[in-house]
This record gives sequence, structure tokens and C-alpha cells, in this order.
Amino acid sequence: MTKSKALYTFAALLIGLSMLLVSCKSAATPVATEEVAAPAVTEPPAGPVSIIIGVTDQIASLDPADAYSTHDWELIRNTGRTLLRWNPGTSDLVPDLATAMPTISADGLTYTVTMQSGVKFADGLELTAPMFAEQLNRLLTIGPSCPNDVADALAIPYVESVTSTDNVTLVFKLKSAIAFFPQLLATAPYTPAHPTTFPTTECVLFPAAPVYGVGPWFISQFTQNEQVVLEPNTFYTGDLTPQSDKIIIRYFADPQTLALAVQKGEVDIAWRFLGPQLITQLQSTEGLTVGTVKGGAIRFLVLNHDMPPMDDPNVVKAMASAIDRNAIADTVYSGTVVPLYSPNPPGFLGASEAFDTMYKSPNLQAAKDFLAASGFTEANKCVLDLWYPPEHYGAETAAWMEIIKQQLEATGAFTVNLHAQEWATYVSALTGGDSYQAGVLGWFFDYPDPSNYLDPFVYNGGMGTDVALAETGSTFGKAINPKAQQLLDLLAAADVETDLTKRADLYKQAQDVFADLVVDIPLFFQAEHVTYRSNIHGSSTFGSPDTLNIGGNVEFNYSVLSKTP
Amino acid sequence: MSPIALIVLFVSVPSLILLLYILVRGSTGLRRYILTRIGLTLPMIFILATLVFFIMHILPGDPITSALGPKATPEIVARVRETLGLNKPLIVQYGLFLKNILTLDFGNSLVGGHRPIIDEMSERFPATLELIIPASILALFIGIICGTFAASRRKSASDYSLRIYSVIIYSLPIFWFGLMLQLLFGVILNWLPISGRIDPVIGTSLQHVTNLYFIDALISGNWPALGSVTAHLVLPTLTLGLILSGVFVRLTRINVIETLQADYIAAARARGIREHVIVYQHALKNAMIPIITLIGLQVAILLAGAVLTETIFSWPGMGSYLVLRISARDYTAVQSVITMFALLVAIISLAVDIIYSLLDPRVRY
Repeated sequence: MTKSKALYTFAALLIGLSMLLVSCKSAATPVATEEVAAPAVTEPPAGPVSIIIGVTDQIASLDPADAYSTHDWELIRNTGRTLLRWNPGTSDLVPDLATAMPTISADGLTYTVTMQSGVKFADGLELTAPMFAEQLNRLLTIGPSCPNDVADALAIPYVESVTSTDNVTLVFKLKSAIAFFPQLLATAPYTPAHPTTFPTTECVLFPAAPVYGVGPWFISQFTQNEQVVLEPNTFYTGDLTPQSDKIIIRYFADPQTLALAVQKGEVDIAWRFLGPQLITQLQSTEGLTVGTVKGGAIRFLVLNHDMPPMDDPNVVKAMASAIDRNAIADTVYSGTVVPLYSPNPPGFLGASEAFDTMYKSPNLQAAKDFLAASGFTEANKCVLDLWYPPEHYGAETAAWMEIIKQQLEATGAFTVNLHAQEWATYVSALTGGDSYQAGVLGWFFDYPDPSNYLDPFVYNGGMGTDVALAETGSTFGKAINPKAQQLLDLLAAADVETDLTKRADLYKQAQDVFADLVVDIPLFFQAEHVTYRSNIHGSSTFGSPDTLNIGGNVEFNYSVLSKTP
Repeated sequence: MSPIALIVLFVSVPSLILLLYILVRGSTGLRRYILTRIGLTLPMIFILATLVFFIMHILPGDPITSALGPKATPEIVARVRETLGLNKPLIVQYGLFLKNILTLDFGNSLVGGHRPIIDEMSERFPATLELIIPASILALFIGIICGTFAASRRKSASDYSLRIYSVIIYSLPIFWFGLMLQLLFGVILNWLPISGRIDPVIGTSLQHVTNLYFIDALISGNWPALGSVTAHLVLPTLTLGLILSGVFVRLTRINVIETLQADYIAAARARGIREHVIVYQHALKNAMIPIITLIGLQVAILLAGAVLTETIFSWPGMGSYLVLRISARDYTAVQSVITMFALLVAIISLAVDIIYSLLDPRVRY
């Protein structure tokens, strides 16, 4: 053998050996996939009904004390239960782990809840009130140090302490009386987590499967970025008994691929997000049903009332009068979004159409009159700088911002300059309240209550609206005028009012003042769409079976799903 | 130790042994050449890592505010920034970044669950490897066979057709070509799957050992999984492999044509050796040297193509991870992935150059 041949042979052997070693050594450390001991069988499971749901979301955390995204919450809620829950397909709050609605003390600061007894995690461990209290205190103690920090949004500001008085009774002490606390009790952070998987000392964002909860499902396999497999909890005793043997959530990088996959049958259901063009295309595809869920994200223009010319009430009222929301919905979104005339969307407590009642937009003459009252005419135009993020709310944003520009300029007294700014810079500049006159913002509720749609845009800086200037240590901030103070008072009163009729009335009054001040300009709400194949069905026992029982609160209960062969 | 560190270790240790063997046993010229190439590679990687770091940090906007969204209070933003070390001076962050590269640590992601980036890359790297290996083989196979065939029938209809093919295929946008293949073979003909690495249901029975699903299915004897993995590989491999094959067709053709004009080929023909033996055994062998060089350069294009291919086919590899993290303004993840890509390209280029110098003793500095 020549010297060079020996060298090549040696090289080939080394490469072969290294590949073999990589394969063998990696076998000992299967880090990428955290799963239950995989079955030794080489055949796929025969017979059981598996339903595959495709999403373009990503998992950010599975820890109830940390998770703060819609998709994470969906998984937590399907594997867990809360004291109260929204009935599938509706926004009706009903007892789930609780035997009845909470008992509220006279001062509104103490909520006492009696739990059902005999509730078990999917591994057979019984859930007791002391265990539940310990997990909720975990939310209050380690929650703020977790990366996604849901605790600082939905627990720390409201809850003083959680204790148990016996094995079935929980007592919540609140920092101040809030009427929407029952709604908070139905959110994912208030789900009891398994004490072994989620110890009280640390956040566990990606626990190794199996992940057990007390809900109808448990996570049996979890392959990062690819799929999550859920199987029925045999100890589940609630009324959402699984109708299938397995739910597989598949993660897609591209909405276009997800749309093709549901067309082809690689997934049974295409859930969030597909975008308006793909939805329109799938609506006409044979064998597919596209359900429209009227709830979720709203889009609006934040107006900075502390910055000229937005500090002029006539200017903001002229803007509110000139904008034609239907043109945006029809031209850009082919009718897949719904015009919005109040920050409190239809279906929520006390929802009104205050902006429509007050401005009857588009009303160009009214807009011209408002502008003329402040001295703005064709000869002396009001110059507006409107900002938007070009991608964050979809590529269509530029198109509808251009429509808004044209609508405002149709008054003859506005000159509108549009500015696109990348999201990372944009969001802090807009909500900081000292950089932009006006810009687009989107909002998705944490819990389906009007307070979640109104308070953040008014209180203490109000996400850049500055109708109440931010003050350190204050909840409400400093109102910029008496009308703004009136709005603060109405919202504060509604926050603590437990009588639903009175509360709804307070919100109606608040929306009128909100529209009169033009705190922001609500534009449309973006309905969610669920696309499913003809052999997939929701449950007729609950509301909205045509949207697979997904209601306005965008809660997707996998248990209601069934599949015909 | 993380799996990716193990992979690097188990690839680099044998490579180092091979390198030492060459350095000890090779000629002085070869030794000098290899040492010079290594000497040039290290500063190249350093400069690239530095550029990536500073470009990412020069870009306007705060990644923490971007990730947390409008609901986050300034206190929460400040706390997260401190946790992730982004409140430190830029030069300190740069020092930590370089240290992290050397220790293959890379730090934590800025978004989602703030997971260690090395874990995220470890999960995704095998998927990319599983895609680019068959795609490279396909590109080379088509390129060499068609290029040689075209060269042997120069100026014939076949030659013109293959030249047109090579220009058209290389100029097709990957995302469009991938989408067309998905529509044709996936949706219209319903022959092949269009997304993912394995059927979701069959995937539940696959034991994850190496995370190279083809190998995992093979070593566990899971034949349904093997079939599913193979079927899922077809369209992404075709997309990436066919597009890259264009350049190999052209390069092989031109090199074989040049070789066929050499004196020793004329002598072989005069001796009555059959034409296909002359073309495929003598000419092709000698034309391969520049093609091997190009393979090294194509790795960078292959990885760039993988970014698009993975996104189109929802292939959970490094490419789709990069796209995801760029859109989230995740500094640390983006700079880590780009540095990993650069390392990979640099190491393969180095390896190709060394192989080239072994094949052709004329190549020396």
C-alpha cells in the first residue's frame, strides 16, 4: 500500500469512527426530546383516534406560575383545572374545581372557595386545599422571578395571601376589592400544578414529560419545536371527558405550510394563526370548514394627549369622525375583521358602540368642523405623524395605515406622515408616551372582562395615551383634565362593583367619556379562525359547536373534539 | 456536557488526530500549508464573530421590550435585562460572548423561556444535518452525472438542455420552488408529505436516540418510522438538492471539457480505449479536483438554502430557528447561530483545502 493510500484509508476510518461515536454517545443523552419512556414497539399505535392540531405558536413555558401566552395557557388549561372556568363556547363563568361560586366578604377583600374532594392528578395523586394553597403561594413567591412573569400581571397586584382552612376550603385575601377576581380565578396562573414537577423553590418552564395536572389530559410526550402529545387523564372526574384517544399539537414555522397541511389532511385542525389571505382561500376549499371566533385581538390608534396636536380635543375628535372602519375591513381584510366602535368589544360586559353613536364616522363634514374650530383649514393644515410597526401586526398594517392616511387627508385639513418603525424600537417609544404623537397598538385580553380592555389605556400613563400622566407608586396617575378624572373615577368604581347590572352601567358611562375624550381610536377586532376537516366535530352539549366550541374568550377545550373515521 | 459539545468533541478529536498525523508524517511544504490555513481560519472566525456581535447591538430597539410587549412594566423590563446581563457595558458583554464561544456555552435566549441556546441548537442541529446531507449528495450526484454527460456530448441537444436546466434551476427562488413541489406532490397528487420530519402519530413510537430520525428509525428497527422519515425527507431534499445541482452541472461540465482536451486523453483515444471509459474513468477523475474545492464553498450556500427550505417545510432545524429568532430580535441566539454556521463553514473549507492539498501536491503556499 502506498503512503497516500494509507493516509486516505486512515482518514476514512477516522471519519467513520467519529460518526459512529457521535451516534452512540448521543444515545446516552437524549436531550432534545423529553418524553415518557418510549414504547419498545416498532409499530405505530393501532386503532386509537388521534386528532392533530397545527399551530404556528411556540411554547414559551409550561409552568402555571410563569406562562403568559395564549398557547401556553391553552396547554395548561387542557391539562389542568381552575376553581372557576368559562363554559366551552361561551363567556359564562361556572364552578369547575369549586363546588359553587366563591363567597365574598362584605368588604370585598376575602374570597372563600370550597373545592370538590377526590380530585386527582393524572398520576393518581390527590389534590387537597393545602396543596393547592401551596402552589398558589408559589405563584406569589417565585412567580415574579420567572422569565415570563405572569405573577406581576395577574396575581401580585391583587392577592395578599392564599390559605387553606381544611382539606377543601381555600381563602383568598385581596389587597383591594376587585369585582373581576372571579375572572382571574379562571385564568391559567390559578391552576394547581403538580408538586413534584413544579417544586415551590424554582420555576420549571419545560418539565420533562409526562406532565400531570388534574385536567382532562396530561402531556405524555413533548418534543421541542415539533409536537406535544396529550393523552386522557384516567382520574379526571369533570364534565369535559376526552372524546378522543390522543391529541397531537404540531408546530409549524410557516402559516402557508399549515394551510397546505390542513388541506392535505396532515393536520385535522389548523388553529392560530393563518392570516386573512389564507383564511379567505381556505373558506372556499372543499372538505374544510372555517369557523370564525368573534373574540380576541383588537387594533386601535394610541393618541398621545400630552403631545401637540393630540392635546387639542378638536383634532382627536376630527380623527375619530373621519375614519371609516368598514373600508379597512373590506379593502384590506376581505371582511375577516370586525369594525370596532369601543375599546370594550362586543360580547363583553357593558359593551357599547360609543364611538359610532358619538361620531357616526365616517363624517367628513363633522371632521372639518372640528378642525376649523381649532383653526385648521386647507390653508393651515394640521400635520400628523402616525407610526406603525410594519410586520408585528401582519404585513397588511401598511395597507390599512395608508387607508387611514387617505381618509384623514380627505378632510382637506390634515397632512399625514406615515412612519414605519421596527417593533423593538416602536413599542417602547409608543407606550413610553414621550416619542410619538400617535401609533397603532394591538391588545389581547388576559381575562375576558371590560376592565382588561379599558383600565390599561387610562390608568397611570395608559400605554402612551397620557390622559392620566404616570406617577410613581400611583395606580391611577394624574388626570390631565376634569373629564379624564371623571373617567378614572368611573373605571375605579367599576373595578370594585360586584353587582353586574350596576357594573355594566358604569362601563357604559365610562365608554361614553372615553369616546368623548377620544383616549384612543378603536379600529377593528381581529376574529380568530379555526379551520377543520369535515370529519372533526365540536360538542353540541356546549355553545358554538361550529367553532369547535371556541367562544369569544378564545378558550379551546380539546376534550370536546371528536373525529369520525 | 451538552450533545452539541459532544458532537463537536467526537468530530474534532479524530480530526485533530488526523491533522497531527499529517503534520508529523507529511512533507515540510504540506505542513507549512496546513499551518498557514489554520492560522488564517482562526482570525477569520474571530473577525466574523466580532462583526456579528456589534452589528446585532448597533441595530436600534430594545429586544427585551420587544419580547415582553406593551404589558410589561419598566421594573419588569429592567429586571429581565439584569437577569440576562444586558445591563452590563457593551465591552463586558462582548468579552462574555467571546468566552462563551470558546466554552461552547452561548448563554441564554432572550425570549420565551430564556432557555440555554446550546440546548436549543442541540435539538435543532440534527434536523439540519439530516436535511443537508442528502441534499448535498443529491446535488453532487445530479451535478456530476449530468455535467459529465453534457461534456461528453458537447454542443448536442442534450448538452444545451442540461446547460439550460442548470441556469434555470439555480436561479429559481427556493421558497417558490418548494411551494410548487408541495402543491404538486403533496396537495394535488397526494404522494408525499409536505411538512415536518415524521408523521405525528408514527412519531410517537420513535425512540429519540441521536435525533437524526433516519438513523434512530434504522437502529431501532422501526420500519414504519423509517418509511415516514424517508417520505418526509423527499420534498425538502429535492428542493435544496435540485437548486444546488445547477452549479455542479456547470462546473463539472466545464472541467470535464477542459480535461477531455488534454494530451493524455488524445493518447487514450488513439489507443482505442472506449469513450465512456475515457470520460468517466480518466477525465472525470482529474476534473474532480476543482469540484471538491467548490463543495467547501457550497456549504455556506447550502446552509443559507436550508434556512428557507426549513421554513417552507416546517423543518425544525437551525435555519428555521434563525428566522424565528431574528424576528424576535433575540441577539444572543442570532449571534450564536451565525457563529456556529461560520465555524462550520470555516472548518469544512479548511478540511476541503487540506484534502485538496493531499490530492494535488502542487497546491502549496
